[in-house]
Amino acid sequence: MGRSLKKGPYVVDRLLEKVARAEASGNREPIKTWARACTIVPEFIGKHFAIHNGRNFIKLYVTEDMVGHKLGEFAPTRTFRIHGGKAAKASKK
Amino acid sequence: MPRILGVDIPNDKQTRFSLCYIYGIGPYLAGRLCEQAGIDPIKKARELTEDDLAKLASLLDNEYVVEGQLRRQVQQSIARLRDIGCYRGLRHRKGLPVRGQRTRTNARTRKGPRKTVAGKKGVKELR
Repeated sequence: MGRSLKKGPYVVDRLLEKVARAEASGNREPIKTWARACTIVPEFIGKHFAIHNGRNFIKLYVTEDMVGHKLGEFAPTRTFRIHGGKAAKASKK
Repeated sequence: MPRILGVDIPNDKQTRFSLCYIYGIGPYLAGRLCEQAGIDPIKKARELTEDDLAKLASLLDNEYVVEGQLRRQVQQSIARLRDIGCYRGLRHRKGLPVRGQRTRTNARTRKGPRKTVAGKKGVKELR
């Protein structure tokens, strides 16, 4: 089910602040964040993020197409190890 | 048989059902189309006059996204998801279910026919 329009998109205020600060100071460092549920808003375009996936920070450069998605959608939390073949058996050990 | 938009040849069912043979037109839109074109939805499709057909065609052309155009739209949405590398895009790339369904079993529509792995536990039970 979609989110009620009345509420507007879920954006973590602190992240918006950080983006504004980076914009003002011209800081190009990726913005580290754990806020995977935060919606990508137009202010984020052209910014670098480092999104936590539970273990590491995944780097992401936000483009226009990504607006409306959540940050977490771009930092996969699961690793898939290939089925079958020698490679899989070797990596198991 | 009447032809609408070149490709679609709905047969001799009621108009409201035969319109559903157009890609992008379901029962609901079919009913609405009939209303807009002033056609009795219960009338058989073969009884449609040239006038009716022309009206339907122009309605479909101008107000609805159907057939090739709709197919292209869908493809483009999927291509966008793939390009931006979001979770849904990754699932599309891998040919796995996109909306969080289980994949331990089932999911055959997306994954295609079973590929049995020799020597895997439980293969006999699966049969």
